[in-house]
Amino acid sequence: MTTQTLPQTLIPPSTHEFADIIHRLEAGGSMLPDTPENLMQIIGIYKAYAVPMDFYWRGVSSISGRVFLNPLPAFKYFLPKEYLDLHNHYAGDDADLRIWRGEATAHPELLEFMEKGEVKQKLPKLFHHLWHDRINMEFAEACMRAMFWHRGMGGQFDPYLDSEEYKANADRAIRAYFRGNPAMLGLYQLFPDMFLEQVRELSYYANLGLFWEVMAPVFFEMSDLYDEGKLTTVPEAMNFLVNGIFAIAGRPIYHHVYIQGECYEIIPKSKGFMWLYEAALPYVEAVFYRTSPFRGTKSYNAQAKQVPTDQKEFHYGILYADVFPVGSAGIPPTLLMQDMLHFLPPYLLDYYKQHCRNEDDMLIQLGISFQRSMYNVTSAVIQALRTALLYPLDDTNPKHLLANRQFFETQLDRFKRPEARLRDIQRQDYR
Amino acid sequence: MLSTLIWFPILGAIAIAFLPLRQPKLVALTVSGITLLWSLWVASQFDFTDSLQLQEYLPWLETLGLNYQLGVDGLSLPLLMLNGLLTWIAIYSSQEDVKRPRLFYSLILLVSGAVAGAFLAQNLLLFFLFYEVELVPFYLLISIWGGEKCNYAATKFLLYTALSGTLILVAFLGLVWLEGADSFAYKALMGQSLPQWLQIVLLSFILVGFGIKIPLMPLHTWLPDTYVAASTPVAILLGGVLAKLGAYGIFRFGLGLFPEAWATLAPGLATWATVSVLYGATIAIAQKDIKRMVAYSSIGHMGYILLGGAALTDLSLVGAVAQMVAHGLILAILFHLVGVIESKVGTRELDVLNGLMNPVRGLPLVSALLILGGMASAGIPGLVGFIAEFLVFQGSYSVFPVQTLLCVVGTGLTAVYFVILLNRTCFGKLDNAIAYFPKVEWRERVPALILAITIFFLGIQPTWLVRWSESTTHTMVSATLAQPTIAQAADSPLPASQTSLP
Repeated sequence: MTTQTLPQTLIPPSTHEFADIIHRLEAGGSMLPDTPENLMQIIGIYKAYAVPMDFYWRGVSSISGRVFLNPLPAFKYFLPKEYLDLHNHYAGDDADLRIWRGEATAHPELLEFMEKGEVKQKLPKLFHHLWHDRINMEFAEACMRAMFWHRGMGGQFDPYLDSEEYKANADRAIRAYFRGNPAMLGLYQLFPDMFLEQVRELSYYANLGLFWEVMAPVFFEMSDLYDEGKLTTVPEAMNFLVNGIFAIAGRPIYHHVYIQGECYEIIPKSKGFMWLYEAALPYVEAVFYRTSPFRGTKSYNAQAKQVPTDQKEFHYGILYADVFPVGSAGIPPTLLMQDMLHFLPPYLLDYYKQHCRNEDDMLIQLGISFQRSMYNVTSAVIQALRTALLYPLDDTNPKHLLANRQFFETQLDRFKRPEARLRDIQRQDYR
Repeated sequence: MLSTLIWFPILGAIAIAFLPLRQPKLVALTVSGITLLWSLWVASQFDFTDSLQLQEYLPWLETLGLNYQLGVDGLSLPLLMLNGLLTWIAIYSSQEDVKRPRLFYSLILLVSGAVAGAFLAQNLLLFFLFYEVELVPFYLLISIWGGEKCNYAATKFLLYTALSGTLILVAFLGLVWLEGADSFAYKALMGQSLPQWLQIVLLSFILVGFGIKIPLMPLHTWLPDTYVAASTPVAILLGGVLAKLGAYGIFRFGLGLFPEAWATLAPGLATWATVSVLYGATIAIAQKDIKRMVAYSSIGHMGYILLGGAALTDLSLVGAVAQMVAHGLILAILFHLVGVIESKVGTRELDVLNGLMNPVRGLPLVSALLILGGMASAGIPGLVGFIAEFLVFQGSYSVFPVQTLLCVVGTGLTAVYFVILLNRTCFGKLDNAIAYFPKVEWRERVPALILAITIFFLGIQPTWLVRWSESTTHTMVSATLAQPTIAQAADSPLPASQTSLP
């Protein structure tokens, strides 16, 4: 079932706690066991995730580029038509770089949901919004905040936000945005750092929007390929992601703001910030691994040292999250699960109806499927990093294979923590 | 009219046992439902100003002094309604796939009829017959449908309650023989003129006999084993109805027939009640099994009833009767919920249970109702437990201040063990490794919801709880207050506010 085979004789077996998983990774597999049930779950969830993601990337791009420093952004989640109609740059016939075969326009299921919502009735947009019958942009913002809060995770994007060049660019945009508004300009004079920090946050909005713009068509295509019978194993799904990562790795990460028809390049494309190193890797680190201990109903006692003093030690992300109590640690699973619930493919709906409490606990069941799927995405990132930094899996030099081994073991050391779900996802009955 | 409450369920029991009925549970529910409605109708006919009413009389074995004499008053009417409600709840909450269903439901209906007969009997021997009739069905209900160690528990229950019956029979026979009466009629034996020491001896038999049934410490050792071993419906009946039969017996036959001796023993009874309250609460704190914890809580709460009876003021006695009803309702909801938790989670161990309040994978409504039950038991205002306990304490303080204050401490201890129970069971983190519980069906929620609504309603509208018994308890207090001993026990005459209800 794996795509490649480990030259078993060249190096001794691993003695790591997760030796079986390391051997699987060395054989070109994923941290997620390769079973048809796992494949069905992760592909179904990718599809259910991609639809709201198609909204998220448009929404955060709109906030970073148009809403910008609006002091009363009451309607920032109301996607302007120009962003709803915005063509994806990596899918569709008019794509800048067509990597994936899907359409450039917003997904039909998303458009239908935006029009009628969960109530299946066309009502004023404000009513849908207040009834929370909408895509939860709060989830997208939580992901952005995780990235922004855990700054300094490597790459050049984050240090650039403290550079004089960035400050000058931001200053120009701030002054342009508040032109003719002496009150806000006065406030800016008094508290320049506060405004600058807001712009840094908006740069992370832009970063995240560009990251998700890539990921949405990836997941749509994986779903289509699975439906067509062209994705048949978990490693195939992982390798599709690895190949996608490399295909898109060099795409630019930038922050442009549009004020009165004029574009202000706060982070110009010319800085050469790359999608893989400045968006994908920080995103995985911040959202999959770290996030923050302030989510949902699970409380942590900082005084009792339940919260590490070093943010690098934070492990509250989806790879560690306990999704049983909905609204618990990690990325706010309640909101994302609620969003994904609207777009589950029929086969996954049927699957959930056969287990646990059927429809009553579908939010948790799909949350656990999401956890499985994110372990697969993380596997893809680990394999991509190994490809970029180390040696091929079929290398015949034992030293190279040992270097790969050490890399995998170091990566999996992070899942030795008791709250990590790596052990759980090895079991099919974890649902 | 009253006979219906006895014979309709018994006929139902016979029909279920011997006729080829396809759905015995449905039939049992119908029979118990009609009986409950009938008891409510009897309540609607109740005259609040009169004592014994709706009397029925049928000569039976007159040479033995045994006649079929029934009547209802403010002491028995609330308990009749409680019996009707809890029987229906017990049948409803039984498992759909209960083994030997015809025998199970017929035994429950038989118990219901016998208990109603005991509450209504106005003849000591007739009471005794009904009192004994429920013994064997309960033994079978515990031993056939019980859980772990059910045979041991059933045998222990049988031995204790058989001893209880013997002591009560000895007291009844002693009273009639020593009095030289030619009848066991209750009214005829009231106002007897036995020497006080003889009254004290006979009252002691009554107290120990019914004290076993309640049970009071140290006569309680059958209770934890029996309550824990019994299935949920049977535990509801044991704690909700049978224990009340013991308390009813103490008031009806102890206080009613031996008021002078009662007044003499009152300080000792109040102390006994206090020891029971503190013992029950303290032992409950130490429990690791939530069903056993609830069982021990019962010992503590039944102590309040004895305290109210011992103080013998209008308020305390009304409170004692109210506590019988309140405790029956609260214990029933707690046992039902504990049963649901056990059936879903597969354990009753405090060290294992956790996080059941989880909204999706836990048992959130069951947990919420368990919290309500715990609050009611701990005497939180707005719930029926508060009304009953407050009346008892308010009525008893002027007579037995030390014992009353210690019982108030017992209420605090109740809050302690319920906080332990609720904190460990409902709150905290749901364990991922075990949290695959089946969902709770609405069918399983209905009994708890009915009981919760009743607990809440009677908590905010206590008139519906106490008005039935005001006249009767006032008569009992008036008959005893003239006794010098109780007057001596109180240092000063009782203030008007504590001798009459507002």
